[in-house]
Amino acid sequence: MNLSLILLAVFDGVSYAALVFMVAVGLTLIFGVLRILNVAHGSLYAIGAYLTASIGGAVVAAGYSPILAFPLMLIAAALVGVLLGAPIERLLLRRIYAKSEVLQLLVTFAVFMILEDVQRLVWGNQPYFESSALQLLGNIQVFGVYYTSYQLVLLPVVALLTLIGLRLFLRRTLTGKLITAVTEDREAARSIGIDADRVYLMTFVLGAALAGLGGALASPTTSVLPGIGAEMIVLSFAVVATAGLGRIEGAAVAALLIGLGRSAATYAMPELQVLVPYLIMLAVLLVRPEGLFGTPAARKI
Amino acid sequence: MLEFRNTDVHIGNVPILRGLNVKIAPSETVALIGRNGAGKTTTLRSVMGFTDVKGQILIGGEDITRMRASRRPGLGIGYAPEDRRLFSGFTVEENIRLPGEVAKLDPDTQAARLDKVYRVLPELREMADRPAGAVSGGQGKMVALGRALMLGTRLLMLDEPFQGLAPALAQRYGEALGRLREVDPEVTVIVTESNPALLKSFARRTLVIERGEIAEAEHQAA
Repeated sequence: MNLSLILLAVFDGVSYAALVFMVAVGLTLIFGVLRILNVAHGSLYAIGAYLTASIGGAVVAAGYSPILAFPLMLIAAALVGVLLGAPIERLLLRRIYAKSEVLQLLVTFAVFMILEDVQRLVWGNQPYFESSALQLLGNIQVFGVYYTSYQLVLLPVVALLTLIGLRLFLRRTLTGKLITAVTEDREAARSIGIDADRVYLMTFVLGAALAGLGGALASPTTSVLPGIGAEMIVLSFAVVATAGLGRIEGAAVAALLIGLGRSAATYAMPELQVLVPYLIMLAVLLVRPEGLFGTPAARKI
Repeated sequence: MLEFRNTDVHIGNVPILRGLNVKIAPSETVALIGRNGAGKTTTLRSVMGFTDVKGQILIGGEDITRMRASRRPGLGIGYAPEDRRLFSGFTVEENIRLPGEVAKLDPDTQAARLDKVYRVLPELREMADRPAGAVSGGQGKMVALGRALMLGTRLLMLDEPFQGLAPALAQRYGEALGRLREVDPEVTVIVTESNPALLKSFARRTLVIERGEIAEAEHQAA
């Protein structure tokens, strides 16, 4: 393999890792607070992508500047968080916090299935492709290799800002402190007057919006079509499990590991591309069952 | 100050407390004694709103049975659960301050309350900036008491605070409760314990909980 191929593999890996991180970090944040593994997270990613691609396409077709694609991504993320995230938590998840994990998984899986069909109803089976945001930023040359600035600069920068922003938000703001407190000990949090219900809702909306933003950011780089949500949720699970459930920095490291592993396989052994993320997860979990950054916890009886 | 009226508490389908009828006056210090599993913790948790309650629970004459759990500490209730349960990612002082921030106390009140906590527990001042996850078990109990004092201006409920404390630390904890009485003579204090001897020195009234029912102890301390 020559140098430019290696560079390409690294760039692919980094840009893909950035997208996976955006989705996985929302998933792990929600798990940390609600203790629910939300399968429907994949649908929220897909709907973020559909909203951005379809509305963005219409906006550009109507002759408006393609630069509008960027604010549109934020709007799509907010819509996913508020219009989908809030009702899912309020009307559905709130009823099953005390139930068994199996039931919780089944319920979020049912939401995922319903939202998959909703996507087909609204957007049909035709792929959407709307890449004006990507083209707008052009290419950059690194060591003789050309790559899109959108994927090599914008995506990693957004992911990094999300990571730093989340850290500061959780550490410095009162809302963030409430989320941190509820994550660690729900009853201790309630006994000092924290409204756990409100914290659950805010966390879920924030996590859902991050999934939506991940989809919005991914849309210029790929065809948006049925099934992208399923692919992303499975990969995000792998990232979250590798990192250790509820670990934000861990999700960044695991996303990078899995992103790079996946793209290395794409160039070296394409037939293993689908398998490699799970092999990485398996290898990590064999050595550290609690994940890279997880702490082993004794199960309470 | 605190009153149970025909209060029943179930956890799932299991009755834990039956027909409680207890009145605790303002500024009383009450020991709630009972064996493990007798229902001491459940009694305190039911005041916090963490259990299903039939009958009534009143604070200062106000029926709080249906009040949301998150609003109760704002009434002036401080609760230190068993096992400390501090927020390990925050510093000791952040743990103590957090209830005041949650209750949106104004900055002056927050500062005054923090000052009160340090007067009752001067040793916390030295460890204020340490992560709460890094303090010892006994120190953690002091921090948990400090956190409960932040909002607990009317009612302070301490669940087995002496459990697992070395004798020297237990003595310091007892002294801190003595200082609390000087700093804040009005507050009602309920302390649970399985070993009644530990509470003799400062509790004026002892309630015994047995098979889900609460009764006055036969020998009242003078």
